[in-house]
Amino acid sequence: MGNCFGSEEDVDDISLLRNEESSDDDELRYPPPYMPPYQSDQGEQSQTIYHLSPGQSRTANELTEEEKVRVAQREGLIDHLPRNTWDENHVTNKKVRECCICMIDFEQDEPIRYLPCMHYYHLDCIDDWLMRSFTCPTCMEPVDAALLLSYDSQNLDSG
Amino acid sequence: MAGLPRRITKETQRLLSEPVQGISATPDENNLRYFHVTINGPKDSPFEGGVFKLELFLPEEYPMAAPKVRFNTKIYHPNIDKIGRICLDILKDKWSPALQVRTVLLSIQALLSAPNPDDPLANDVADNWKRNEAAAIKTAREWTQKYAMSGGQ
Repeated sequence: MGNCFGSEEDVDDISLLRNEESSDDDELRYPPPYMPPYQSDQGEQSQTIYHLSPGQSRTANELTEEEKVRVAQREGLIDHLPRNTWDENHVTNKKVRECCICMIDFEQDEPIRYLPCMHYYHLDCIDDWLMRSFTCPTCMEPVDAALLLSYDSQNLDSG
Repeated sequence: MAGLPRRITKETQRLLSEPVQGISATPDENNLRYFHVTINGPKDSPFEGGVFKLELFLPEEYPMAAPKVRFNTKIYHPNIDKIGRICLDILKDKWSPALQVRTVLLSIQALLSAPNPDDPLANDVADNWKRNEAAAIKTAREWTQKYAMSGGQ
């Protein structure tokens, strides 16, 4: 809590529906300054969109140098988190069978990712979220603290 | 617009088949991302007896971004401003994709039971709430009667 004063947007008396349409206009008003030739025949859809935080999205061209570093660092951290595939043969009754991000049941051999708190999600679902916020959606634990701890113990073990 | 994600369809079905007590959420027939919501004022709060209308919209990024919610019924509450915007952490920086329309509406219902004047959105209301709580509660009750009961706007 406590951030409500900072977020005084120009919402005013317009309804949520009309507000949403006007944000589409914003995108039209700010086209990417330069479209690399290899993407030009595929249109805007093919551009990778980066999400710096929930609700903040940019194309690669719109990122500042600092943000590009942040994105690369984050991608590196996510890569270090354990991944696995869903195996129906090892599922107990107690186990959660539904990815709480997309609300679709896990299927045999689907890629999943575990967080240090042992909550797990579809790989694509959780990676999409971790790029925006490095927290577990279920328990809200920050992921990086636990990760750094595990790095430290690895270093101690090897030394 | 792209097709409706499975998650939104599932949430809508569950909302309709297992409704929450004191809350209704109905998708708009022209836009399945837009919900007409009502929340009954909680018992033992100054909003008791009132039926508050809200609108809820699931943005394109949902569930990676929070739903947008606002009150359409006027309400005297320190965390809700005069155009119905709500100061609630899970709608802003504490959003998580594990939350749902259901949990968001339950949190708003809880906010009606427990106004938090130390984290205000409507400054004047929060000031009154802190300076003279009894008077503020009385005003909240009057507004509930005037705007949120049958015959009110």
